[in-house]
Amino acid sequence: MGGPEYDCLTNPLGAVRISFEKALSSGYNPASSVGKDWGVVDLFRHYFSDESAISQIPVLDSSTIKWVQPKSLVRFRGMIQDMLGNEFYAGSYKDGVTWRTNKYSDVSQFPESSSSEMKVWERRLLYCVPVPGQNQWTESSSEELKNRFLNLTGQNREKRVRVDEEMTDSMESNTLEAGLNGSPYKKMKSGEATSSASGSQVTDIPPATSKDSLACLVKIYDSPESELKLNDVVEFLGVLTFDANTTMDMDSHDENSDDLSEAESVQMPSGKVPRLHCLIHRKLETQHFLRDSSLLVEPKSPQVFKEIRESLMKYLTGLLGNDHLAAQFLLLHLLSKVNGRVDNIAVGKLSLNLIHLNEESMSIFGTQLSNALKSLLPFTQSMPLTIEYLNTTSLGPKKDYRINRLMPGVLQIADGTHLILDETELQRGTLNSVGVENAQLLKNLVECQKVEYDFQYYKMEMATDVQMLIFSEGKSNIMPADLVLPFQPSQLNTLEVITPETTEAWRFYLATCKSLSHSIGQELQQVVENDLVEARQTDRSLGSQDLSRLLTLARMMSVSYGETTLSLEHWQMVLELERLRKERLK
Amino acid sequence: MASDSSPGNTNNAPSSPEDNPSSPIANTNSSPAATNRRRRRRSSSPFITPPTSRPSFARSNNRTGPTPTTPSYTDEIPPSSEDGEDNDDGDDTTPTFVWGTNISVQDVKSAIEMFVKHFREATKENSSTSAELLFREGKYMASIRKVIEIEGDWIDVDAFDVFDYDPDLYYKMVRYPLEVLAIFDIVLMDIVSTINRLFEKHVQVRVFNLRTSTSMRNLNPSDIEKMISLKGMIIRSSSIIPEIREAVFRCLVCGYFSDPIIVDRGKISEPPTCLKQECLAKNSMTLVHNRCRFADKQIVRLQETPDEIPEGGTPHTVSLLLHDKLVDNGKPGDRIEVTGIYRAMTVRVGPAHRTVKSVFKTYIDCLHIKKASKTRMAAEDPMDVDNSLRRVDEDVELDEEKLRKFEELSKLPDIYERLSRSLAPNIWELDDVKKGLLCQLFGGNALNLASGANFRGDINILLVGDPGTSKSQLLQYIHKLSPRGIYTSGRGSSAVGLTAYVAKDPETGETVLESGALVLSDRGICCIDEFDKMSDSARSMLHEVMEQQTVSIAKAGIIASLNARTSVLACANPSGSRYNPRLSVIENIHLPPTLLSRFDLIYLILDKPDEQTDRRLAKHIVALHFENAESAQEEALDITTLTTYVSYARKNIHPKLSDEAAEELTRGYVELRKAGKFAGSSKKVITATPRQIESLIRLSEALARMRFSEWVEKHDVDEAFRLLRVAMQQSATDHATGTIDMDLINTGVSASERMRRDIFVSSIRDIALEKMQIGGSSMRLTELLEELKKHGGNINTEIHLHDVRKAVGTLASEGFLVLEGDRIKRV
Repeated sequence: MGGPEYDCLTNPLGAVRISFEKALSSGYNPASSVGKDWGVVDLFRHYFSDESAISQIPVLDSSTIKWVQPKSLVRFRGMIQDMLGNEFYAGSYKDGVTWRTNKYSDVSQFPESSSSEMKVWERRLLYCVPVPGQNQWTESSSEELKNRFLNLTGQNREKRVRVDEEMTDSMESNTLEAGLNGSPYKKMKSGEATSSASGSQVTDIPPATSKDSLACLVKIYDSPESELKLNDVVEFLGVLTFDANTTMDMDSHDENSDDLSEAESVQMPSGKVPRLHCLIHRKLETQHFLRDSSLLVEPKSPQVFKEIRESLMKYLTGLLGNDHLAAQFLLLHLLSKVNGRVDNIAVGKLSLNLIHLNEESMSIFGTQLSNALKSLLPFTQSMPLTIEYLNTTSLGPKKDYRINRLMPGVLQIADGTHLILDETELQRGTLNSVGVENAQLLKNLVECQKVEYDFQYYKMEMATDVQMLIFSEGKSNIMPADLVLPFQPSQLNTLEVITPETTEAWRFYLATCKSLSHSIGQELQQVVENDLVEARQTDRSLGSQDLSRLLTLARMMSVSYGETTLSLEHWQMVLELERLRKERLK
Repeated sequence: MASDSSPGNTNNAPSSPEDNPSSPIANTNSSPAATNRRRRRRSSSPFITPPTSRPSFARSNNRTGPTPTTPSYTDEIPPSSEDGEDNDDGDDTTPTFVWGTNISVQDVKSAIEMFVKHFREATKENSSTSAELLFREGKYMASIRKVIEIEGDWIDVDAFDVFDYDPDLYYKMVRYPLEVLAIFDIVLMDIVSTINRLFEKHVQVRVFNLRTSTSMRNLNPSDIEKMISLKGMIIRSSSIIPEIREAVFRCLVCGYFSDPIIVDRGKISEPPTCLKQECLAKNSMTLVHNRCRFADKQIVRLQETPDEIPEGGTPHTVSLLLHDKLVDNGKPGDRIEVTGIYRAMTVRVGPAHRTVKSVFKTYIDCLHIKKASKTRMAAEDPMDVDNSLRRVDEDVELDEEKLRKFEELSKLPDIYERLSRSLAPNIWELDDVKKGLLCQLFGGNALNLASGANFRGDINILLVGDPGTSKSQLLQYIHKLSPRGIYTSGRGSSAVGLTAYVAKDPETGETVLESGALVLSDRGICCIDEFDKMSDSARSMLHEVMEQQTVSIAKAGIIASLNARTSVLACANPSGSRYNPRLSVIENIHLPPTLLSRFDLIYLILDKPDEQTDRRLAKHIVALHFENAESAQEEALDITTLTTYVSYARKNIHPKLSDEAAEELTRGYVELRKAGKFAGSSKKVITATPRQIESLIRLSEALARMRFSEWVEKHDVDEAFRLLRVAMQQSATDHATGTIDMDLINTGVSASERMRRDIFVSSIRDIALEKMQIGGSSMRLTELLEELKKHGGNINTEIHLHDVRKAVGTLASEGFLVLEGDRIKRV
């Protein structure tokens, strides 16, 4: 075929096949390989080694699914919501005398019955959903990509069909013919229709964040188990497949079969949840969401950090009605992340509780603030803490054994998510057992950064890393935050218009500072220790938590200036901040 | 058609060929490829092998050196020629092989025969003189006889026995379970029929206790078709599914009954015409349900136990297929260990489609199920002190490597220090408290005398201290560490909540006993926070629990004594929020002395400003926050190691007192008692009571346990004394004299305090007699205080108003005075 030898972008499976054949000729033996990679991963890695190549691949979401072709290469960005275990598949088999492979595809491309030898390989199934609370700005627009892509496929279409034909004689022809008109999305619709019509016990698929969002079943090959964890935000690059036989799954689902057949085929008809055969994947950091990736490359001088910090501080101060202290703490809070755990202590967390807020001031500052955070951070969520909310929402994820799935709770969120808890609306009332459980979950989250997952027969604690901002009238007792600060706005500012460039710079600033490492010089360590001892000598009520908080603040302060080593100046700034805060509390 | 409506058809076409237990769902087909072919060749899975089809197995293996391209399906030969087949086996001169391997059927068969006939437990293997054979019957021969006697269905075979006798056979069995087990069954049947020709039931072999146990997570394609064993928890079990095995048809026209038709790879071939020569009516045969033979089948889902799940993962599950007697062997929530064959089957795209997905469904064909918590009920006898079965349900199972590591650890000279360091490493200071808690975790030996007297082995600890001294954190930590334990807060606990209560079942109206925290933490540690805020009635329930280790209930027609062999770890705040050093412990914590004396160790955690510890704390916190900071971190065990270490020690180590240690105990105890009588003092101070010596024994036993030592040595006793002294020094120090005074614990008032109080009362009496007349004018307490101070000759300490008030109270109770407001009146 013309063009590049491996057409990774438009015909990934072809590339897989060709590379398999190549590997065979150079001595790769499927019989003994246990499905180990024969060079496909490297091939694709190489092909998509830089961002610009990756950006050629359409991102799979509810809008792109309408035009993306099955068997083409797509990207999916999401959070691992559930792990569905391993799946065994007929990895390779002998077609006459030559080996063929089924890797990266759902349905075997050749009639298997004729094959004489077959090897069973395994792959892992991950159920991924769009990251909960993902903000608009992180979604890359794929409009231009669409056009480009359509052109591209248009050119290649004829060729592709031919290739497909030769690969898939066992497949139903309608899949084969699935051109633009018979787009899979339509099939999805019909799949949905049948699923509801058949009335079988398809429990609704765990609700993702919005109606439009698209969950995806990712099949992972050749990846060590420890590499991907629950709630990780990952970008998967792989082959999209749809199963044409959606309805079959539904019909065959009778009372006997569901016990043994894996839940995923029953609960997630492939017409509803696309499958992605992952070729390569990478964990996403906030930086990956920034539009202008060039920002990442050039190193920044402290001066630049300082400038951005100043402008951001100004913005935050304005947001908070000229409460400079609150803005300071808010900035430090936004930079916090858990960077270590010792026993039950999550080091580095810094939850902030702004008090003296009532419903009225909340409606002004709270909304402003949450809108601002939405435009600054990739993932934000907010939670109104009302009696009703606590009593009715399921916050903690729960395993449903009936369908063998983990039902997500509101608190199943990706690391680095910002969570606003609004306690100002809390009225008197009675919590039922769900409410009490939820309150405990929240408390545990604030104190230990852990969420308990309910597996019915036992509970499992999962470590999280969530920045929590709590608004309340008095000090919140449900959620004992690390920092309690009375909010004292002095005036209401009209919001200035922020240019996209500035926002982008701020996003970049927050993301970068957060990921900075941090250390301390020996001399200063002595100073800090002395200060801590002295503080404790003078005030016996200071516990290790208070001392720990000081150091967290110091760390945040130092990284907020883009520095990786704590300086005396920053340490003293922290002490001063704490002094001011204590004064306010009196 | 008749067969369509039959119940047997709900799971119509339930299987791929012979292994019909293996593929229970409708849309299966085992068409493709190699594994499948092997499966076909296999005559049957070990379970259901109907006796009739059995020999076909051997036959199918007659072919030697099969060529992979031409699979043979010899087992499709109708199994009618059964009788001849058995002979074939023996007479065959060319060796038959298990297909695709170089395992000879004859070899395996004779190896199994040898094993069954000759295996003896814990004896040498080659003792096969026939005389001896007659003398002592082999373990499995005995069990075969037993099975015949009770007409059982199976024989349990310990895989360890197989390994001991013939490792080669063991490996063959694990590697090719289907083949080897089928032969095993044949051998068994042969033996059975030689013993009792008339025994008709089919006896199966059930292998258990494999040498290696797989974790669910590590199952991979190479395990398919092999025997594996794994542990897990049942999370869901299906209803019992009747699976048709033999179908009987009747002709609707002439009423002729067909012979039973054996279900062949999940399909019943319905005779198209009546089989009776005279009738031969077409399409007239109908299934007769009640003459068909059905077998039970159940599908169970097994999930990983929490400890096997790596961080950031979700539990894996696997399906189990249970047959016949194994059905309903476990219910959801049970922890079981399963031995079975891992199998995979293809999934057809749809029932009407011949195309097969390239995906396999996997499941385990169960051979044997062992429940992990079977002994829990056995431990409920209130009188037993089953040391050996201590907390069996936790099932501390260690592989050899871990065990060796523990042995090494226990040999370390600083293991005691190391363990105490590992306990709540983020809580600083409080080293001795941690050591005490460590003793509590390990626990002493409970003793049960023939006379019926029990001595508890559990160590109770009370922590009293200022707020913010991480008492609760310690409690939480211990709660997390202890294998079984309940954490409650005193404020939220009622007496029934702690012990047990009787409730009426709303549906049946029966009275049922619901266990409370203490009963639930039987053989564990019950952590009670805010002990001081507990209601008196709730606290009084603890008396029984803490010494007798039972909870007695007598209400609503239920009289019961429940076990509550629990260690109590309580913590309390001083009554006036901060500890008042001028008051005694009792006054500080407001707990009845009777209860207090039941605590082996009472620690006062007072926040004393100490720069040294503050500095350590500061260093520690700095180290937490900075990667490169100089760390004060010491080597410590991680929490899982610690837990298993403790569990292992509690389960396996039962130290006894050595003579030397016993002597030391006596000596130390006498000394402790002597210490009370210091020279020249008339007052009697008790420093130790028999309760203390029990505590000391428990503590030293726990200390020995930490070292995995079966003997309590002298230095254990020394350390126990030290611990007791440290704890007592803090709590039982008489602040007036500075000496240890056990009376303080037992009565709440120290001897010197009592003496002082007596003097007080008498001087007030003197003053009153002097200054006041009966029924005369009253006197203010403050005036009285002034008077006392003036008199002060015989009272050399400071006097406070509350002392006066107390003394006046004593006099008032004698009827000497009356107290009205803050004025007193003589009467």
